[in-house]
Amino acid sequence: MQEVIDGIRVGVIHGPGNRLTPVWFDLHRRKHSIRQITNCWRERRGATELIHFHVTDDGALYELTYNPVSGCWQLELVEVL
Amino acid sequence: MNRVIMHADMNAFFASVEQQSNPGLRGVPMAVTGSQQRTIILAASYEARAFGVKTGMTLAEARQKCPQLQLVAANNRLYTHVSAQIIKIFQDYTPLVEIFSVDEAFLDLSGSLQLFGGAERIAYLIKSRLKARYGLTCSIGIAPNKLLAKLASEMKKPDGLTVITPERVAEILEELPIGAICGIGRKTETVLNRLGIFTCGQLGRFSVPRLKARFGIIGERLAMMGRGSDDSPVVPPEQEPEVKTVGHSMTLPRDISTREEIARILLQLAEMVGRRARRYGVTGRTLTLTIRYADFTTFSRQQVQAIALGRSEEIYRAALKILDSLLLTQPVRLLGVRLSSLQYHERQLLLLFEERRRQQLTESLDQVNDRYGEFSVMSASLLRVKGKGSHVISPAWRPEGIRNVGVR
Repeated sequence: MQEVIDGIRVGVIHGPGNRLTPVWFDLHRRKHSIRQITNCWRERRGATELIHFHVTDDGALYELTYNPVSGCWQLELVEVL
Repeated sequence: MNRVIMHADMNAFFASVEQQSNPGLRGVPMAVTGSQQRTIILAASYEARAFGVKTGMTLAEARQKCPQLQLVAANNRLYTHVSAQIIKIFQDYTPLVEIFSVDEAFLDLSGSLQLFGGAERIAYLIKSRLKARYGLTCSIGIAPNKLLAKLASEMKKPDGLTVITPERVAEILEELPIGAICGIGRKTETVLNRLGIFTCGQLGRFSVPRLKARFGIIGERLAMMGRGSDDSPVVPPEQEPEVKTVGHSMTLPRDISTREEIARILLQLAEMVGRRARRYGVTGRTLTLTIRYADFTTFSRQQVQAIALGRSEEIYRAALKILDSLLLTQPVRLLGVRLSSLQYHERQLLLLFEERRRQQLTESLDQVNDRYGEFSVMSASLLRVKGKGSHVISPAWRPEGIRNVGVR
């Protein structure tokens, strides 16, 4: 398990409603297709409510975090499966 | 300092492991049964539970509820292997992991919160790793103590996460039925009901002297449970007290009556007890034989031995001696052999040549069985016995140490 804090580009489906579904992300110039969202939860940090996603591609588990205020995504964790 | 305790409970563990290892079982009502002939439902998948199939049902009862139910014989080795892997995942977040059973554990996260970004994140990390690696789900409870963490994990199943914060404890317990608390069984519940206590709120406010008068020393503990108080620590395996007994029991495929048949089972049990005792360097001065008759009447007889027993044949002879002192009045359904008054010691230096030879022979046999599996070398009279070895995961099972009972 490796903790990382890194800005990251994520492809997302918005909706229906206020739902967010990450579909792919770029890491080290490689596009990773998301196979499964294993968990999603919200965490309040100060005035911001961050949305955390645990997702898997074909080889690892990742934690992607979305900040709705800044509109930025961060990669917080990688674990090779 | 407030403690933060997590209780993780694997959902329909045996059934889920089977569904993951055999994709053909996924999404269908299925249940795991014991591997012996006289067996019951050990675990039912959530699809089977929807039909009313429950743990503990006979196969006939289960099939009546769900005619299309698929049954799978338990693969205990697989379950204990997966359980050991899951415990390793828990230990990534804290060294304070108490194994409650093969599919449940308590974690004391009080010292790990800063490191991993809080208890909820740890819970989601564990859930995601279990789902991604093994396809398994668990229900997690987070609370200030073990009692409440266990209660919290029961609140949302499957795949739940429930947090009970200290300020919500009183509100949650006020209307909660006392039977929902781990440690209050049906008998205690009935007695409490007779005292007019039905909810945890009522239990917490009840007179402690009256509870003590009725339940003895447990009375005070019951009152604490009603208030949601529990200061028991999370005890990792290495801090568990030394085991006091080493034993095995076996429910037989059919009831038996002859001395020869009973002796053959005792030989098998003596080998299992002896192997485990020798592996962990213990001998026992007291040997107990347990017998359950066909009508479920159960009794035990014990004898203190002149010397501490460790070799299988010594244990067998002592068990046989007890058997021969009994007059059995019914066919036998279950037999058990247990060593107690244990002595932990390093290898003994035996002075008598014959004793040394016997010990060397036992060690050689153990080495062969260590290498090629239990009962690879055995007494000739066991050759024709089918299904030798333990077929049940004991509640005291641990992934390592003397409580690690090899299962089939």
